[in-house]
Amino acid sequence: MPYHFHLIALALYGAATALALAPFAGRPAVPRGLLLAVPSAGAAFHVAGLVQMAPAGLAFGVSLLAFFIVVLQLVSERLLRVSAVALFTAPLAAGLVGLALLLGLAPAGESAGRNVWLVLHVALSVLGLALLALAFIAAALYLVQFRELKAKRFGQVFQVFPPLERLDLLNRSALVVGFPALTLGVLLAVGYAVRFTGGFRVDPAQVVWGLFTWAVLGAAVWLRVGRRWTGRRAAVLSIAGFGAVLLVYLALKITTPGTERFL
Amino acid sequence: MSLTVTLVGVNHRTAPLDVRERFAHGAHEVPGALRRVLEAGASGGVLLSTCNRTEFYLSGASDATTDAVWALLDGRLGDGRPARGYGYLRRDRDAVRQVYRVAAGLDSMILGESQIQGQVRDAWELSRGLAGPVLHRLFQSALLVGARVRSETALGRGAASAPAAAVALAGKIFGDLQGREALILGAGDMAELAAACLVDAGVRVTLVANRTPERARAVADRLGGGAAAQSLDDAWEHFAVADIVIASTAAPHAVVTWARIAPAVARRGGRPLCVLDLAVPRDVEPAVGQLENVFLYDLDDLQAVAGQASAERRAEIPRAEQIVDEEVEHFWAWHDTLAVVPVLKEFRGRMEAVRTAELERVFKQLQHLSPEDRDRLERFSESLLNKFLHEPTLALKREAEAGDGYLLVEALRKLFHLEHGE
Repeated sequence: MPYHFHLIALALYGAATALALAPFAGRPAVPRGLLLAVPSAGAAFHVAGLVQMAPAGLAFGVSLLAFFIVVLQLVSERLLRVSAVALFTAPLAAGLVGLALLLGLAPAGESAGRNVWLVLHVALSVLGLALLALAFIAAALYLVQFRELKAKRFGQVFQVFPPLERLDLLNRSALVVGFPALTLGVLLAVGYAVRFTGGFRVDPAQVVWGLFTWAVLGAAVWLRVGRRWTGRRAAVLSIAGFGAVLLVYLALKITTPGTERFL
Repeated sequence: MSLTVTLVGVNHRTAPLDVRERFAHGAHEVPGALRRVLEAGASGGVLLSTCNRTEFYLSGASDATTDAVWALLDGRLGDGRPARGYGYLRRDRDAVRQVYRVAAGLDSMILGESQIQGQVRDAWELSRGLAGPVLHRLFQSALLVGARVRSETALGRGAASAPAAAVALAGKIFGDLQGREALILGAGDMAELAAACLVDAGVRVTLVANRTPERARAVADRLGGGAAAQSLDDAWEHFAVADIVIASTAAPHAVVTWARIAPAVARRGGRPLCVLDLAVPRDVEPAVGQLENVFLYDLDDLQAVAGQASAERRAEIPRAEQIVDEEVEHFWAWHDTLAVVPVLKEFRGRMEAVRTAELERVFKQLQHLSPEDRDRLERFSESLLNKFLHEPTLALKREAEAGDGYLLVEALRKLFHLEHGE
């Protein structure tokens, strides 16, 4: 069953991608209600698929990341009216769900158990990652809109993309909420290791990547909040941070085989 | 009573500005002008007068009434030229179509602009006591048509004028403009117009700077919000705090230079600054646009934004015209039923008189009836009459709505010797 629910979610995220791209294909802009309804329906099927899965493994992590990205897009749209975020989130979510399907979805029965610490650790860590991705998306949209405004080009990007300050606010909010979420996720991992496995017997690659991501997010929050970085500089910072996290992940994946469980 | 709808008017397509200015009626002049026209013979009138049009909508008007309108306009032109040469005359469906197109913004200088909707409402309210039932209904429906066109098409979307484009550009940088601070350089009309649009969007003008502080003071007072007035040379420091700068001085060269404002911009902490240069020749040195987080736009840029919105709006014209055509037919269906109302009223009155007379005759013959029995008999006669008249009444209204009521009305008139319509 998780497979079928994921397939339906994948189709709906694909449809959401098409709707988001419509203005760039010369089609009239899609009503906001539809832009919210289609990914919402996808998220509903997605969560139905997720609860039937074992809360561990790469496929679950990738699927949960896609789900959080869609939920964050819906929340951003409701709070800040930033429909263009769906240009990135919808295809990203569709791609991640497709990847999870390719990796193979393990049903709940095959799980070693649903330890609350572990579930919370996974959920908060993935939420932190999803918020880092959202900050990256907001930053990318910011830089594109910034360039269009500076170059005095008043085409589809000018029309469809949200105002600069709204994107800056979205980027800042994603980082500020993402950092405590990831911090809690890391602390829960430490607690889980100490309490249930009798020590820190986890993959070193996993620890390296987790701590690196946490450090990047922490540095970004410090610069944005502590040093009051805003605008283009903050957007470049977010993109660089997200890129570094992605690069380290790929490097670890290539150099440390046998860590498929999480990486 | 004649039920025709007539329009006599001039607009921006038929008359130049200096002529339109003379035809324009202030709110206080409208009732007097309408009364003068209606005295020539009409059952109702509404005068729509804006800077782009002066249109008299009349119901039941004769040729003498339209002559009275032209005479009134001749008088305002005052130089011997006939006003008729600048105007137009529309009747019935064409007149209805015109007011619907006007309310929808299809006949506006800036296609789809929404201000006209309020002007149509104001005209209707100013003329309400003199409008009469036909024009009352016409203007009520015109406002609904305007709203329908704006909600079902994209005719009103985008910024189709330079001041609106200024607001749109600032909006793309800041999002919500509520509470943003603006600095105005120069006291020209264009700067004031753009600033007024920004104020409408929630922007607060904090400073108006001009070579002559007195003129700056006058503009600041008109814009409201407690804006300060200063000389131009004291304005540069304000680039550190303002969100939006509108420049429109009469200077023959650039007054806002990189050297003058760069130190203040450096203290902004990365906050964006939107500079709108509305002057010709330009007030702002192009190098200012190279400063980090400074977004500089001149009149050409604003025209480009407005032109783009206009092109998108033009694509919506066929859909908007289709809505107007549908609504004209709806209005005319209602209008056609008006012709049968007086005939029906008289017909029912005649039948009611027959019923009452016959009942009186019966009561005289049946003196023994109790009051209750008399009451029952009265109600029976009323019910019988209503049942007899129900179907013919509906049929007549149906035929009238379909535009074919005339033959039935004529038949009714001849069969029952009715007065109406003769």
